[in-house]
Amino acid sequence: MKNTIRRTLLYLVIVFISMMVLIPLSYLVSISFSSAAEINDYPKQMFPSFSHELAVTWDEENSYYILERKNNAGKYEELYMSSKFDRIQAYLETQLNVYVEEEDLEKDFVQAKELGQKIELTYRKSFFNNFIKFFTVFGGAEKALVNSIKAAVITIFISMSIGGLVGYALARTSIIGKEAISIGSLIVRMFPMVSISVPMAILLVKYGLYDSMLGLAIVYSIPNIGLTAAITRGIFMGVNKEFEEASMVFGATKLQTFRKITFPLVLPAFAASSMYAFITAWNDTAVSLLLTNKNETLALLIYKSIGGSSSIHYAASGAIVLIIPALAFTFLLKNYITQLWG
Amino acid sequence: MADTQMADKSKKNRLKSPYLLLLPALLFYLIFWFFPVLTSITESFTSNTGEIGLTNFQLMREDTLFLAALRNTLVFAGVSLILQFILALIVAVLINRKFKGNKLFLFIMLIPMALPQSAVGILWNTGLVESGWINSFLTTTGIQEVIQGLNLASGAMIWKNVSGLEAVFMLILIDTWTVMPSVMIIILAGLQNFNKEYQEAAQVFGATKFQAFRDIVIPIIKPSIVTALLLRLISGLQVWLIGVMIFGFNSVPFLVERIVYYTDKVRTGVNSYKLANAYSIFTLVIVFSVALIFVRMTKNKKRGGV
Repeated sequence: MKNTIRRTLLYLVIVFISMMVLIPLSYLVSISFSSAAEINDYPKQMFPSFSHELAVTWDEENSYYILERKNNAGKYEELYMSSKFDRIQAYLETQLNVYVEEEDLEKDFVQAKELGQKIELTYRKSFFNNFIKFFTVFGGAEKALVNSIKAAVITIFISMSIGGLVGYALARTSIIGKEAISIGSLIVRMFPMVSISVPMAILLVKYGLYDSMLGLAIVYSIPNIGLTAAITRGIFMGVNKEFEEASMVFGATKLQTFRKITFPLVLPAFAASSMYAFITAWNDTAVSLLLTNKNETLALLIYKSIGGSSSIHYAASGAIVLIIPALAFTFLLKNYITQLWG
Repeated sequence: MADTQMADKSKKNRLKSPYLLLLPALLFYLIFWFFPVLTSITESFTSNTGEIGLTNFQLMREDTLFLAALRNTLVFAGVSLILQFILALIVAVLINRKFKGNKLFLFIMLIPMALPQSAVGILWNTGLVESGWINSFLTTTGIQEVIQGLNLASGAMIWKNVSGLEAVFMLILIDTWTVMPSVMIIILAGLQNFNKEYQEAAQVFGATKFQAFRDIVIPIIKPSIVTALLLRLISGLQVWLIGVMIFGFNSVPFLVERIVYYTDKVRTGVNSYKLANAYSIFTLVIVFSVALIFVRMTKNKKRGGV
């Protein structure tokens, strides 16, 4: 008996917390697939819809079609009146995300005229319309996406190369001051990136790197080099030295040994730290706000898109585009989760 | 002779090459970290007219939103940390056992933290507007009717109609939504990896369940939690984006919000660069002191609450 109550309580807690996380996300996804008409609906749908239910009546007196739409509350509301099919077509495209040929529309609508009564029609929404629109409506969204990837790749390159060397040195050589390096890297990681950005702006202008992805990547690398060093250090220490020695005994050079033996063994660590580097660059808004002018990153573009409430569904689909890679990499990184807030 | 020469050479190599590995990192941090930070510090003590002193910090102190920004930042970081930790601990202890769908649950819990800040901003902005999804949810599920039946509200809630500490608290709740699940996972991972035998041994020797938890379990899982909370605290002190995305600049000031405001919004102002810089250095001092206090506090307490 006590056990049953306990189990029920356990599942209640689990379901409640999962819902707390999933419901907001579900609404965001739904909004990102909404048409302009649905954005003005209240209450909003929790799940995305695939089609619109419309009703058409022919108004003899004014000689135009009256177009109605079934809203989320289940009531038909008047949307638009016109007798011209090109107008109706354009209206459906912009307001309902519905793409239908003019002739097909005419064929459907004429029935209302002939029957002299209200007819009901269902049109499929163009499902990914908002995502396509996001890249056309927001000037430079495409460029911003490319910029984000660029910044992330450069960050990965800088942190891997510089940080990997430090990690190797810390794990494999008997240098003095390992403790100091570890503490130093912790201090650097604690340093707010925004605080760095203010003086950095002047420096980057001087070097001609302001408003460039290399400039951003340099700032993103500041915490990530230390992190890469820490992660790779652990892995280099874990790699069995005897493998390497054996390889050298058989006549391989140091470089060959590294390439053929050590590197494949430490690859997972490099993958993990490059995902960190990716996430730092991809998710950042503050640094790119301060250090770029025209070359926005995707996260920055999303941040700036908040102003226009009429285009919030496009902004939401942009947010989804931003979320997917971040989510994928975070999930792959789940074993290193304690480190994620650096 | 030749032998000793070779030995000498290899010794020399061994001495030199490891430090060579550190050289790129050293140069990088010298140029892109140490130098800018140093400039920033000296700049912050140099006024527009070239005098050395605290003029810039006085300027910052006179900024009408300075005190509010400082208060909001500290309240946000402190309250969100405590709230998230306590909630996460309760939940983790409640579900500390294997159950069906364990993996799926952990995946769901990972999602909020993975979201880029600006996406979180969009998510809650679409929720908090009057015809947003929060009110939609309350209406469709009938919770709204219950609220109105209890006379807690007369109509749809206007969530954004808050200011001051209330607004900060709303941001804390959003932050808790974002972060609590993953703090919970960290604690849960600690609990699940933890060897149950220690706890059982303690109980055999007469400790109560609670005592065993406090004196055995907590100290063992403490290190990973402390690291996570420290990083959390540091990033909590740097809050700004969610506040700006929901309430706009100047309405819920934070320290970093001031930095961004003065660098980006008012680039033209005579003092704005100086102000941004002073705020940067000030934020830095706050972050380091708070982190230091946190580390001290968690180290001195040998047992009990982390």
